[in-house]
Amino acid sequence: MLNQIATIIADGILLGLIYAIAGVGLSLILGIMGIVNVAHSAFIMLGSFFAFELFRRFSVDPIVSFFLAFPVFFAAGVMVYRALITRVELAPQTQGLVAMFGLMVLLESLGTIAWTTDTRVITAAYTNRSVLVGPVMLANVKLIAGALALLMIVVFWAFLRYTLTGRAIRAMGQNRFAAMTVGVNVRRLSAVMFGLGIACAGSAGVTLGMVFPFSPNTQILWLAWAFLVVILGGLGNVANTLLSGLVVGLIQTGVAALLPFDYVYLALYVMLAVILVIRREGLSGAVRRQI
Amino acid sequence: MTVSVPRLEVVDVSAGYTPGHPILRGVNLKAEAGRITVILGPNGAGKSTLLKVVSGFLTPQSGAVRLDGADLARLPPHGYIERGVALLPQGRSVFPELTVGENIELGGWTMRSDRRRLRSAVEAMFSRYPHLLPLRHRLAGSLSGGQQRAVEIARLLVANPSVLLIDEPSVGLSPIVAHQVYAELVALKNEGRTILLVDQDVRAAIKIADYVYVLNSGKNDIEGDRAAFEGDLGAMVRKWLGV
Repeated sequence: MLNQIATIIADGILLGLIYAIAGVGLSLILGIMGIVNVAHSAFIMLGSFFAFELFRRFSVDPIVSFFLAFPVFFAAGVMVYRALITRVELAPQTQGLVAMFGLMVLLESLGTIAWTTDTRVITAAYTNRSVLVGPVMLANVKLIAGALALLMIVVFWAFLRYTLTGRAIRAMGQNRFAAMTVGVNVRRLSAVMFGLGIACAGSAGVTLGMVFPFSPNTQILWLAWAFLVVILGGLGNVANTLLSGLVVGLIQTGVAALLPFDYVYLALYVMLAVILVIRREGLSGAVRRQI
Repeated sequence: MTVSVPRLEVVDVSAGYTPGHPILRGVNLKAEAGRITVILGPNGAGKSTLLKVVSGFLTPQSGAVRLDGADLARLPPHGYIERGVALLPQGRSVFPELTVGENIELGGWTMRSDRRRLRSAVEAMFSRYPHLLPLRHRLAGSLSGGQQRAVEIARLLVANPSVLLIDEPSVGLSPIVAHQVYAELVALKNEGRTILLVDQDVRAAIKIADYVYVLNSGKNDIEGDRAAFEGDLGAMVRKWLGV
């Protein structure tokens, strides 16, 4: 019995780390730049297919793809920022939302053309293996994906906290005008921030693709999960997004162990409703930053 | 601390927020090195708009903004900072969720490629304002209004700008703290910096001014050195109010 509980907790933590990495880019883009990036999950989906194609065509291990995805999706994010976001960032938020929704539909449609709606899996050498850690049996793939997610979250957190560029990004989210008065080129830094958010999405897609089956349509499901993590954790805070992801992961594995899977959604959304009634800003207490 | 001596010049500047509706209409002024130049005027005269123009936040529709003869008018705000022209905006402008140390460090953003120089400039600010040292690791948003103003001034000075654009420095401060802020502006002037001050506190501003410009309805109205304004403040304010 104790072993079972330990397994459920360990499984929930690993799953939570993966959810956290799916939410962190969305949280920072929304919290710091004020952009509701509903296309975030489309980039997660592209991240999964990025790993899938590298694995299928060139036998590149998904762990390697995880690290390759970061610069590739960063560049994609910067391009999207320059081509699309700069045209709508100062417009009313609804225009930005429509633009991002259009991008999401476009990417999903292109994904369907390229890969059809068939469900895919990435079956690496370690995919179907497990390891016994003390009394707990863990799937290798979840352990690896969770570790990669944790690594990225820690690096991202340290970047924002301890580097001057990271502090400038946080400053920009707190007071955009004041950031400009100290000489920050907010256009350039916003491009970096958006690029980092999309890089997180791409890398998250690799970890999700390692663990779950996926198709171009599953991005909508991931969008819901990512938003759940973001709303629960509050905006623009990496540590709280991590905490929120862990809570979601633990609830999922805990409820799924006792009840049919559909009750997971019931439990999560009831919890979300309760938290939003008690704390409008989510667990973190952070309010949305205006830019 | 010694600084070079640039001169800021605004030449026939017209500027506004919508095409065809200028707020500033052919404004001219000169700000000399080592002097405090004050801009006064009633609400809506265009004082804050003028500061936005000379800090790069608003591109003039016509005219020039010159620093030592070089036209800056089309530069973005960070271009002005890189040339030593820094703005202290009206109201609170600290980054509330960064520490005092982090706030001051960001004042040296333009020096970021030389970390050693940046670190030494930050330490120089803590030496200059030792009362900030015990607050170094506190979140700036948790400080009092006066302490936040001190952080803003320290942040403004990290990159050692030679031209300071100051917008309503005493808004929201107690009289004692406001007095300290004005005393600091005089100290900065005495270091050779060029100071352009926009203020609603006419009496306090004239007290430290070397030269005063009055704007009215987006145009130059009257101007002169401090002595010309000290005696007849009441008449000037009555004129603004149309009484």
